[in-house]
Amino acid sequence: MNTWKRRIAAAWFALGVLTLLVTVSTDARAQAPAVDPAAVRTLKRMTDFLDGLQQFSVNTHSMIEELHVSGHRVDYDPSASVTVKRPNKLRAVRTGGLMDQRFFYDGRTLTLNNPSEKVYATKEAPDTIEKMIDFARETVGIMLPSADLLYRNAFPLLMQDVTLALVVGKTAVGGVKYDHLLFSRPGVDFQVWIAEGKRPWPARYIVTETGTPSLLSITTVLRDWNTAPAVDDAQFNFVPPKGATKIEFMPLETTGGSAR
Amino acid sequence: MKPICKIAGAVIILFLMFIADIPYLSEKLVPEAQALRGRGAAFVVGAAVGSASASSDSASTSQQQAATAQQQSATAQQQAAASSGTKLPLGTVVSALPAGCAPSTVGGVNYYYCGENFYQAMYQGNTLVYVTTQPK
Repeated sequence: MNTWKRRIAAAWFALGVLTLLVTVSTDARAQAPAVDPAAVRTLKRMTDFLDGLQQFSVNTHSMIEELHVSGHRVDYDPSASVTVKRPNKLRAVRTGGLMDQRFFYDGRTLTLNNPSEKVYATKEAPDTIEKMIDFARETVGIMLPSADLLYRNAFPLLMQDVTLALVVGKTAVGGVKYDHLLFSRPGVDFQVWIAEGKRPWPARYIVTETGTPSLLSITTVLRDWNTAPAVDDAQFNFVPPKGATKIEFMPLETTGGSAR
Repeated sequence: MKPICKIAGAVIILFLMFIADIPYLSEKLVPEAQALRGRGAAFVVGAAVGSASASSDSASTSQQQAATAQQQSATAQQQAAASSGTKLPLGTVVSALPAGCAPSTVGGVNYYYCGENFYQAMYQGNTLVYVTTQPK
């Protein structure tokens, strides 16, 4: 009889311990720090570095995943060569594929030009690169390659609503070591590979929509960073080529491109 | 006999507690996955996915770009089937001109005349498209 009582007591004790363990472990998981300060520091190092550049040029190669109307995924791969002179000059030349397009911003106007079709459109634009990027996106839906990283003071924008930040690990490409970081916020995850050392520029940037089951991404590889390119103000001015026709931008539908 | 009942009771209680914990556990173990699952419900193909906060002051430009591009490519693909020969409603957007179009200038504005329709080149975002129009 005594043995039984002891066994029962032991069973109750085990039950108590188990319950406690389950509760404690779930709580511990729920409270685990999701934003790793090391990841945030490295991101800040990159944005500080980019903020400090007066001018730079970089070549980008993107892979844009989209859903075809049939429901299948289709990838587009625009490449671009971007030259920036702060605070108000930007030029992007899209190359590769069938895309042949040039974008000019001279501090007063933005221009889109398709040399092979001999057409261009011009629009008055705000006076800084940051405002111009927002303006271009919101009024006419123009996309600029890796615009997230072209913003000056991108750090607070990238960190906004971030619920998870972690250092995935280190990787080496062409003898250069990179920190691979992952950040998450509601609806969007992004990964960025940042070079170690004195010039922490981003080498790869992947933005994934997590609000849809298809988890579509835009992957951008950034190569040939040049922090002291030879820039001439004239290269940001658009001069219509002979025989080119001026056309218009289609206004963005209010329900369309801008989010809701 | 009685102790056995007590043990059985304890085991049943233990079992029930674990059952009760299962949904709670799976929810807490992978909060990200849970969050993803929850959001899937509102999914519409090709629709903008940005949250309101992602509109003007956030850096999720690429995300918005994707949505815009989806919308644009969908428009283009739905309407690219338009061909010459039939009169199309004004404002129809096509991604490429039908065969046999001739450039035509009316009142200093360039058009393409293709059978029944006049088209005008325009930029829809970064994409060059052609829109049916009526020369003035």
